[in-house]
Amino acid sequence: MSDVKNYVLGVYDDEDVLLKAVGKLRATGIKIQEVYSPFPVHGLDEELGYKRSKLPIAAFMFGMLGTTLALVMQIWMLGVDWPMIIGGKNHIALPDFVPVTFELTVLLAAFGMVGTFLVSSDLKPWKDPNLLDIRITDDKHVMAIDIASNKTMEASAIQKALQESGAVEVNEKSREE
Amino acid sequence: MQVEATVRKPLVTGGKTVHDVTNDICRHVEGKPTKLWTAAFGISVITLMIGLVAVVATLWEGIGMWGLNKTVGWAWDITNFVWWVGIGHAGTLISAVLLLFRQKWRMAINRASEAMTIFAVICAAQFPILHMGRPWLGAYWALPLPNTFGSLWVNFNSPLLWDVFAISTYFSVSLVFWYLGLVPDFATIRDRAKGIRRIIYGGLSLGWDGAARTWSRYESVSLILAGLATPLVLSVHTIVSFDFATSVIPGWHTTIFPPYFVAGAIFSGFAMVLTLMIVTRETFKLHDYITIEHIELMNIVIIVTGSIVGIAYITEFFVAWYSGVPAEQYAFYNRMQGPYWWAYWSMMTCNVISPQLFWFKKIRTSIAATFIISIIVNIGMWFERFVIIVTSLHRDYLPSSWAMFYPTIYDMGVYLFTFGLFFTAFFLFAKFFPVINMAEVKSIIKSSSEKTAE
Amino acid sequence: MKENQKTYWKGIEQLKNDPEFIKKNEGEFPEYLPINENGEGASNRRDFLKMMGFGIAAASLAACESPVRKAIPYLNKPVDVDPSIPNYYASTYVNGGDAVSVVVKTREGRPIKIEGNKFSKITKGGTNAQVEASVLSLYDKERLAGPLKAGAEIDWETLDREVAAKLGQAGQIRIVSNSVLSPTTKKAVGEFIAKYPGAKHVSYDPISAYGMSEANRRSFGEAMIPSYDFSKAKTIVSVGADFLGTWISPIEFAKQYAQTRKIHAEHREMSRHYQFESNLSLTGANADYRTPIKPSQVGPLVAAMYNAVAAKAGAAKVSAPSVGDVAQMTKAANELWANRGESLVLAGSNDPAVQVLVNGINAMLGNYGVTLSTERPVHFRQGNDQDLANFAKELNAGTVKGVIFFNCNPLYDSAEAGAIQNGLSKASVTVSTADRMDETASAVEYVAPDHHYLEQWNDAELKTGHISLIQPTISPLFSTRQAPQSFLKWAGQDVEFYTYLQDNWRTNFFNKQNDTTDFQMFWDKSLFDGVFETEGNTKTYELNEAAVSAAATSIAQNYKSEGGLELALYEKVGIGNGSQANNPWLQEMSDPITKATWDNYLTISMKEANEWGIELDEGATQLVELTAGGQTITVPALVQPGQAEGTVGLAVGYGRTKAGRVGNEVGVNAYPMVTKLNGANVLDVLAGVSVAATGESYRIAQTQTHQTYMGRENVIQEAVLADYQKDTSAGRWSPKIYKEGEYIKPSKITLWKGHEYNNHHWGLSIDMNSCTGCSACTVACQAENNIPVVGKEEVLNRREMAWIRIDRYYSAANPAGNKKELEEASANPEVTFQPMMCQHCNNAPCETVCPVAATTHSTEGLNQMTYNRCIGTRYCANNCPYKVRRFNWFKYHDNTQFDKNSSMNNDLGKMVLNPDVTVRARGVMEKCTMCVQRIQSGKLAAKREGRRPEDGEINTACASACPSDAIVFGDLNDTNSMISKSLQIEDRKEGEVVTERVVNEDRAYHVLEELNVNPNVWYMTKIRNKDKQEA
Repeated sequence: MSDVKNYVLGVYDDEDVLLKAVGKLRATGIKIQEVYSPFPVHGLDEELGYKRSKLPIAAFMFGMLGTTLALVMQIWMLGVDWPMIIGGKNHIALPDFVPVTFELTVLLAAFGMVGTFLVSSDLKPWKDPNLLDIRITDDKHVMAIDIASNKTMEASAIQKALQESGAVEVNEKSREE
Repeated sequence: MQVEATVRKPLVTGGKTVHDVTNDICRHVEGKPTKLWTAAFGISVITLMIGLVAVVATLWEGIGMWGLNKTVGWAWDITNFVWWVGIGHAGTLISAVLLLFRQKWRMAINRASEAMTIFAVICAAQFPILHMGRPWLGAYWALPLPNTFGSLWVNFNSPLLWDVFAISTYFSVSLVFWYLGLVPDFATIRDRAKGIRRIIYGGLSLGWDGAARTWSRYESVSLILAGLATPLVLSVHTIVSFDFATSVIPGWHTTIFPPYFVAGAIFSGFAMVLTLMIVTRETFKLHDYITIEHIELMNIVIIVTGSIVGIAYITEFFVAWYSGVPAEQYAFYNRMQGPYWWAYWSMMTCNVISPQLFWFKKIRTSIAATFIISIIVNIGMWFERFVIIVTSLHRDYLPSSWAMFYPTIYDMGVYLFTFGLFFTAFFLFAKFFPVINMAEVKSIIKSSSEKTAE
Repeated sequence: MKENQKTYWKGIEQLKNDPEFIKKNEGEFPEYLPINENGEGASNRRDFLKMMGFGIAAASLAACESPVRKAIPYLNKPVDVDPSIPNYYASTYVNGGDAVSVVVKTREGRPIKIEGNKFSKITKGGTNAQVEASVLSLYDKERLAGPLKAGAEIDWETLDREVAAKLGQAGQIRIVSNSVLSPTTKKAVGEFIAKYPGAKHVSYDPISAYGMSEANRRSFGEAMIPSYDFSKAKTIVSVGADFLGTWISPIEFAKQYAQTRKIHAEHREMSRHYQFESNLSLTGANADYRTPIKPSQVGPLVAAMYNAVAAKAGAAKVSAPSVGDVAQMTKAANELWANRGESLVLAGSNDPAVQVLVNGINAMLGNYGVTLSTERPVHFRQGNDQDLANFAKELNAGTVKGVIFFNCNPLYDSAEAGAIQNGLSKASVTVSTADRMDETASAVEYVAPDHHYLEQWNDAELKTGHISLIQPTISPLFSTRQAPQSFLKWAGQDVEFYTYLQDNWRTNFFNKQNDTTDFQMFWDKSLFDGVFETEGNTKTYELNEAAVSAAATSIAQNYKSEGGLELALYEKVGIGNGSQANNPWLQEMSDPITKATWDNYLTISMKEANEWGIELDEGATQLVELTAGGQTITVPALVQPGQAEGTVGLAVGYGRTKAGRVGNEVGVNAYPMVTKLNGANVLDVLAGVSVAATGESYRIAQTQTHQTYMGRENVIQEAVLADYQKDTSAGRWSPKIYKEGEYIKPSKITLWKGHEYNNHHWGLSIDMNSCTGCSACTVACQAENNIPVVGKEEVLNRREMAWIRIDRYYSAANPAGNKKELEEASANPEVTFQPMMCQHCNNAPCETVCPVAATTHSTEGLNQMTYNRCIGTRYCANNCPYKVRRFNWFKYHDNTQFDKNSSMNNDLGKMVLNPDVTVRARGVMEKCTMCVQRIQSGKLAAKREGRRPEDGEINTACASACPSDAIVFGDLNDTNSMISKSLQIEDRKEGEVVTERVVNEDRAYHVLEELNVNPNVWYMTKIRNKDKQEA
């Protein structure tokens, strides 16, 4: 997909200013495409109105899967496929199965969730980040506003709004997407 | 959400700006290796090679190269295993547990301590393999794989098998946790780098772009991972302690082992972290990021865990006496007064007495003292495992089988090997990875700088 | 193997070298492959498949741990040689004066195991360590491959020609041998002497009993050694006679003795055994009352005994020096008298004077005809020390020109070694029939090596009228020739010895029986039974009183203690007189008392140890310089509880220089210290003994370094007879665990209901009362189960591989005292032997902890070890409370570093391996299997006949070797089995379901019962026949 999008970029160097700005701009009805930060800014997602992520549910599901697999495996191997007399215990000695069950639960939960995260956030080694501003990963917060999606306002108006909101610099940039 | 005691000193000193953080940390990654680093790394590699000789000899001739015998079937091998695993606890504990408790002071040290965890677990993993009579088979027979013996599976009743699952789970989850933390920092390095380095770090950074949406997911992932890693970290040493606790050998068959081992693990883990942090701090001049504050806080953890361990030792004796089981009573009498009394008393001095010095703020806040005591503690913890394993085995139920264990040069060589392995890996990490979690530190720069301003 | 390029015959044909075999053997497949059935040589698919089959079979054979190197199929299958089916042949173990009727187990024509012959009226199926080990000596690669002249190989013809010629001119010829038991061999020797009138037969014994036969000559007018019957003795007094270990006929005595030690609720009587001795011997360790005495006290003590008994009998006393006060002496004398006619007095001393007095005492007690009899004198010791001394003189004088050393090694093991060495040069013809270049053989001109006893036809008369046949169980491995055959040859008789033997039996024994009139039937029967009995000596004897007083006088002269140090030489149960010194099984067998291997050493009392500043810690000790009889040797010292103060002990049989790779330079040679007394060679040195500590450190390889059992009742449970008579559960200790307000049995506290063993449930019961600690079981196990020898270094590293060991515990100096004191043995301790092997726990701790399920429980209650699944974590060994698991620290087979493990490191030695038992690989765990291979074959045999295995037809190696029947193996589910009866097993049932298995025998207990590992091995309390328990 090679359509060019034009952005107005508001560059902030203080997370608190940024937070306030996001609130103000959204109040004025400006659609913010995305905000890029060098470090997690707490509360930013609420300000941008993102929903809580469903990753915890994924983790829980994978964990349950682990528990089930572990128990089935142990009971089948020692109790069904080849029952052997070991230490005079029952073939299916459940207390002995607890540790492995626990470990597999954690293992699947952790890996399942991280996997889901990478996929859902589309993180992969061969991905080009295609940054709007190189300083994002250093010390600047960059707010990107897609001009096209803000039909009601002129680009200049948006820039003005950004400057008022406390952006240290404002500029336009177009990016192939 | 960011509740903090206002009395707490700034976590980053020297009025650093966010940009300074990037520069300070990336400099080591980008710059040429320092003389100091090259020397240290060289020594590590040499150690590794020397140790390798012992490893090869053992694999070639057999376990007979070690000092073990019909009575003492485990000695240095499992001692070292438990010791390394114990050390491997601090990292995940610091990042996971302290994250849950919102202890922001962890941010300066969690990266390095997680790395330490991973390398320590790798070292630990050497021993279960090497101590086998037939490692070339055991390395994979211990896994529930379909095999040529027909429907022959592994024995899920065996604590050793529990170890296999516990250690591998712990290792892989810690690895993921650690790597996830590295991704944003890799992105930072990527965007400062050119050419091949850019490609490598670009790949490692998984195309990270710092979008708010990703950050929010990222936060909740690390929070849940922390939630999972915490019980995991506790389970690992619990299960390791089952190797002994579920056996019938007097001195091993002890129900207080799980908590006692976990406390011991945190104890030795923090000590090792301190040792390494102090070294890194001096070599990389990170005084503003790893402050006396950090060191003092960790020393306090050491006093607490050290005291727990001390109480555990005493409880063991009480139980032995109270149980009225002669074999049990003799086992503990033998620890104190038997042929291995020196090991027992070294353990007591190093683990119970030395940490108590940290009650004095002067010592607690002195780099030199901390460095020395942190090493003493790890020596003590090695002796703890040696005492538990060897003195319990060498005189158990039938006096006819009582014997002594004398280590051979190969026992020592293999131990040396793991040291080489550990430090080689650690120095590589220190050179090519950001030793401090930049993203996290940046998030507290503002609050810190304000404090310094006041 | 570079050392020997020989090929071993793989079938009768190859042996006979019949041309057909050779021809067939040239092809790749000696066996004619049916390829051309379908006409002109074109092989078709079916043939291809056939060959594939052969190929696969061969491949799978080669896939074993140690590849099959040469596999030559039988051309025509010999009768009764079926692959994998063992054959048993009755034969006789003969080694010098020792002879035991045995049954030899062969596989594919290879003898692999020696068992006792139950038909023998003497040993009744018992064996000892040396007998068990002798099969390995057959495959000793140090054996000579053929006749030698001056060390160079020659053929028999040349040897016979030259030797015969030289003997012709020699004039005075001496045949020197140990005791010869074979009547037929004696006949052959007779023929030789007839041919060479100047010839004389001189026999001696390394451990001489000449003093006894001499004493009997003096007392009764005939030189003989009576046979003893301990089973009839209520009181046994032994003055330094190690009759359970090494004296005269230990296996026989152990059997008899054990009968008097077996007790149960219905039979609460046992013999009382007093032992007076200097070194702690195996016998002393089993005695109820043991008193350490100095060798110089032996004479006076016996005299004092004589007088004590005489006083009661109203007979004349003899004048003898006072012995001072010897503990238990009067008590012993009184009880002897109280049980007169059912008592027995013995002395180990070779001093005729002492033995004469002993005869006197037994006569006064009326023991002749009951506990000892002249009806069947034993032939084990016929040596005459005087004759040997004279021979040495004549040799040096140059009067004797021809010497034939017939299966003896006097240059090593005789008191005349030095003299003979010097004299040999003066002889014109010197021949030895030794099987190896031993000390003597290497000093003579001609060596005409004899067969091993497993390769020859012969017979042996163990006691007068007790004849035992020897039949070959394998064709001679080398070009050797049995000695009597050589004598016949040199006597100019060209008769096959087999025929000669049969003829002798036809003329001399056939007529002594009336079961059959057909000689062949008689011969076959004797061959099958292995033993044949004729009536014994019927003469009656009168005791010559004069001899007694004479003896007393001589004692008065000879036993004057200067109060100096005294030396008591002795024989070890394992190595004995040293003739089998090159047998690694015997070298590594841990001594029943000292638990030491691969060495002899000076046993010293604690008192001396303290004086000389010597202590034994984990085998670490000091070298000392021992001077006796003008000789000085350097030898390690071993602190021995029970050693009489002021005495030191040293074992003979070590310090061989030409025994072979294994036996050379092991320990020091003590034979030169043998002294003479009244013309007999005695092992006691009363004067001129001194010891000087060198301060040089040395390590003795012991398999057990801790002396006491720390007063642990969960390990050793013992009581005295007096208490047992009152309460059959005396000395029993049953742990109870507190749970919910009550004390209950450990077995009641468990998470699991356990498993039922419905078909068989194998078990062992071990009677610590009859176990003498002789260690025959350990060597038997080694032979049966291919257990490697690891050598001294590895024993020092505490890595011996024994599957069954005998734990030897001393009572502590201060049982009531603190833990430190508990660790020290008392100066004259009580000794307990506890055979310890895998207990086959039904709740086995080892099984639970194996990560790969390599050790599991069988449905017959056996704890099984799956070698090829084992990855060697050693967790099972750590978690075994009995420490019976053994680990293969190195590769012990085909490894030059372990060449002393000769049964696994050269082609010849490997022939002894039991094909039914895996040779374990490096890095795997191993342990007692309760001889599962025997159980399986027993079950198969029964199955083929469509029946259940009968009790006793399956037996473990240890149980079948045990001369005192202390180990009983059997099926616990079989209510009629010996083990069920002896344990009085009772199954508590609810309807059909067995809820609980109860053992009602009060003496039976589980070691470490409190752990509730629920073993299948029971132990029976040790009961000492004492009046009261002493600390």
